[in-house]
Amino acid sequence: MRFSTALRLAWRDSRNSAAKFAFVILAVAVGVGSLTGVRGFSRAFRSMLLKDARTLMAADLSVRVFELPTPAQEKIFDDFTAQSIDRTWITETVSMLSAPQMSTPLLVAVKAVDPAKYPFYGEVRTAANAGLPSILEGPNIAVSDDLLVRSGLKEGAIVRLGTAEFTIKGVLTYEPDRMAGSVNVGPRVMLTRANLELAGLLREGSRSSQRFLFKFPSGQADAMILTARKQLASAFPDAVIADYRETHPLITRGLNNATTFLSLVSLIALVVGALGVAMAMQSHLQQKLDSIAVMKALGGRSSQILHVYLLQATLLALAGGGIGILLGAGVQKAFPLLIAGFFPIAPNVQFEWISIAEGFGLSLLSTLLFVLPPLLEIRQIKPIVIFRRDMEGVPKPWREWWREQRASLAAALLICLGLAGMAAFLIDANWAVAARVGGWFVGGLIGALLLLAGLSWALLKLLRRLVKLPALKLPALARHGLANLYRPGNRAEAVLVAFSLGVMLTLTIYLLQSSIIGQISASAPPGMPNVFLINITNADRLPVAAFLKSAPGVEGDVAIVATAAGHLKSINNTAQNETNLVGPAKRFLRARTITWSNEMPPQTQIVEGKWWNNPGSAEPQLSVLADAAKALNLKPGTLTEWEVSGRKVYARVAAIHRNESVRPGSNTEFVFSPGALDSVPVLYFGAIRARPALISQLQKASFEKFPAITVINLADVLVRVQEVIDQVALVVRFISAFAILAGMIILASSIAGSRLRRVREVVILKTLGATRAKVAAIFSVEFLLLGLVSGVMGSVLAVAFTNVLLTRLLDAQFQFDWAPNGIAIFGSALIAMFAGWMASYRILDQKPLEVLRDE
Amino acid sequence: MANPNTRPAIRVRELHKSIATATHTVDILRGIDFDVPQGQFVAIMGASGSGKSTLLGLLAGLDTVTSGSIQLDGEEITGLNEDSLARLRARKLGFVFQSYQLIPTLTAEENVLLPAELAGAAGNAAARARALLDDVGLADRRDHYPVQLSGGEQQRVALARAFMLQPPILMADEPTGNLDSANGAHVLELLLNMNRKEGTTLILVTHDPQVAAHAGRRIQMRDGVIVSDEI
Repeated sequence: MRFSTALRLAWRDSRNSAAKFAFVILAVAVGVGSLTGVRGFSRAFRSMLLKDARTLMAADLSVRVFELPTPAQEKIFDDFTAQSIDRTWITETVSMLSAPQMSTPLLVAVKAVDPAKYPFYGEVRTAANAGLPSILEGPNIAVSDDLLVRSGLKEGAIVRLGTAEFTIKGVLTYEPDRMAGSVNVGPRVMLTRANLELAGLLREGSRSSQRFLFKFPSGQADAMILTARKQLASAFPDAVIADYRETHPLITRGLNNATTFLSLVSLIALVVGALGVAMAMQSHLQQKLDSIAVMKALGGRSSQILHVYLLQATLLALAGGGIGILLGAGVQKAFPLLIAGFFPIAPNVQFEWISIAEGFGLSLLSTLLFVLPPLLEIRQIKPIVIFRRDMEGVPKPWREWWREQRASLAAALLICLGLAGMAAFLIDANWAVAARVGGWFVGGLIGALLLLAGLSWALLKLLRRLVKLPALKLPALARHGLANLYRPGNRAEAVLVAFSLGVMLTLTIYLLQSSIIGQISASAPPGMPNVFLINITNADRLPVAAFLKSAPGVEGDVAIVATAAGHLKSINNTAQNETNLVGPAKRFLRARTITWSNEMPPQTQIVEGKWWNNPGSAEPQLSVLADAAKALNLKPGTLTEWEVSGRKVYARVAAIHRNESVRPGSNTEFVFSPGALDSVPVLYFGAIRARPALISQLQKASFEKFPAITVINLADVLVRVQEVIDQVALVVRFISAFAILAGMIILASSIAGSRLRRVREVVILKTLGATRAKVAAIFSVEFLLLGLVSGVMGSVLAVAFTNVLLTRLLDAQFQFDWAPNGIAIFGSALIAMFAGWMASYRILDQKPLEVLRDE
Repeated sequence: MANPNTRPAIRVRELHKSIATATHTVDILRGIDFDVPQGQFVAIMGASGSGKSTLLGLLAGLDTVTSGSIQLDGEEITGLNEDSLARLRARKLGFVFQSYQLIPTLTAEENVLLPAELAGAAGNAAARARALLDDVGLADRRDHYPVQLSGGEQQRVALARAFMLQPPILMADEPTGNLDSANGAHVLELLLNMNRKEGTTLILVTHDPQVAAHAGRRIQMRDGVIVSDEI
């Protein structure tokens, strides 16, 4: 058959199916749109990062650490200065800001800079267009405009930050290195280093972030950068080092993770869309069964007909792909708005060939893969069905079944491989990781589908048994409706799988969302802290504890936990380095959080050795969390050497412990005995549970008494968490809607497929005296049952899934709530009823004689 | 009976057809033998369930035989695969069904044109389709869809379609079965006229003795066997 003929036939066939094909195009377009949008944005963002790397870093080279440099590290800086490499130092931390006009102190991100040098590249812009040095001179600070909005303060207001008072003199509108910064909590405050010290916010041992920016002598950066980078890398093993020749590793890592996650979410959208496409195609072919048989009777070969429908699917995929690419451009445009709060610059939307090719490639691949099984069925359509339709549904010997289904099974395998390939393609990682993710993706999808299919099968079997129970006297209408589920050609199982998949996804997201937010913010489990105090010094430790014990609204225990960052240097005098710490143990090469405690933390069990009973013991001791002990091969009696803030600490392992508690600080890997950390700077944090209504009063009282201590209300943090969760939930809900839509299409197509039989049954029932209402009741029972069973399955799985996710991954508790489950179950029943009737209301109007005369 | 000087259009020998159901096997045709010479008009008659439609389906290669032989124009068709059968139908057979079997999404003209398109026949196919629609009196209805046509009109479109590729053999399964007597008579008249004009061998399945009366030969079937064969 000539291509033009096939094209003509495909076009003619599509004319009368506009609505169905519009759905197909939309389903593909949404998947492709989200994929190309996410990836196009990511690519554009990456190229912008590279192009403007110097400006985005405000330097040629930057080093970020969480500790002040040691004398050895300072020496390298001096060497750089001798080579005319300019340097400036930025410190970032969080603190509280207050003013008499404010009811509650505000959590702010503080950034101390040297305005004479910072930034080396790009510029800091302020609302009044004033220069940074003139703004920050004297007891003045610059703030971001959201600080003014949230506090109700105006420029010129006097505020308290830590132990000092400052005047707000400028409003920041743009900082070039905002993305490379490490503190992104709350509104921003910029000040000089002298003022930071005046505020008393920098304390020894504090985990504030230090960034050192370097500028090479003009024209020599390319020549000097390699050596400088090498020197810095060996002197600062824990640092994040970035230079202008690459995209910033911190931003790129976040970008890669976000791109991978969103790409996979989009792939699910595409897969669900493609499933819908396959179902739409199957329903289309089901309705075309007679036409295809006639075409075969008129001399059409299977390959010719396949060619026509393949062409049709290809054109639909291309149309979906094309619209998807346009949608993707829209997504690319919308993305910068969504993240405007975090990233000051928006990359240009790029219409790259690679995005377009990727969009078309993925739309074609996913659509064609999924329409393959229904298309292959064309080969099974025998022209004889025109004469002898009643022979359908006769069980076939397995040999014949295998011969007929071979190609479909091969197609299923191809779909799995194709999907794994697509998932792997979307992961920006080496082939081994990509292959593993691809495998997991397909494995998870198949596992979920198989589980649902198994459950559907079992539930249908159970229903059938129930109906047959002699004791159960069901009304005739209900019995007929139930029996419709087992009608040959009724794809009840497929309907149940797709429907319950949709219900499961939607409900899981809802349950997770409401459980996480609801539980932590309002009804956190008894005893779990909801207020944290950070930056408590040793001197403040006991006064803060005393203050909290008598402070209004504080419930239960007050926990003040020590925290410091320690490097494990040697074990039994063997230096720890990359040769003996490999695999997961490699993490112990970096600084670890350490603490000290006299009492055993709550819910701790000693696995080996024993907890110190004698706090005054001469030799410092150490208890290690079982996992860490196993990774490092630590046993009671092992001698460990640590470096904390440049000072050496030795401690002998006294115990190996296990801890089940989720309280902050309880699961620290390394707990030292009292006195062991006396020689090093240790900061403390407090965790308390306070009545929500009294938290702001507590914040105010604490700020007045301990201005340098930051009080974090978990509810404030949760607002931001909620925003993020809401965004993600919206995306996933949108995808779930597609799964439900796919379920509706399968139901509608299953009804369309059995239309002929239904028509016959309706007219026979009518001839035998059934009213329209009775026939409608029979059908309604069938659709309602399908919806109810899907709802129950989806809801059971959603509850199980949410329970596992909450308890295993998120350390939260799950509480069963009837309301959302009930709504999901009855909602799906109603949706199924709606879809069912949309596909079959015309059957009711059938005049018996017209049909019976046709017989 | 077959003229020994010419090859028969159809030759059937020891034809059997059985269908396995879930519980048992049904023998639909139980040893059929006959020849049809070129240009003959044969009516196959019998009551419902006698096997006449199954026989027609097998003659057209729409289904596979259980055993026996069928030759169309000297070519054995029982061993052919689906695609070869389809090619053979395109070349040699026209078909008229009881319930018209027009493709609902195609217009009358597109339905008539379809066999030519499937066979890859280019040239003046569109002109011939229009001429055929004119022959069946539907020139002004060529852009109508099947649902916009009456039963009689639909069957006339099906007739035009059957003659589109000038097949040497035409098979018709109760072509007037779904029509009232006036329309039925009209369609039958058209069928016979076109058959005469094109010189086609015509196999017509019917249970209506009035229709069968027009045939040159009548084969009577009962319970899967031929019980009479008269000229």
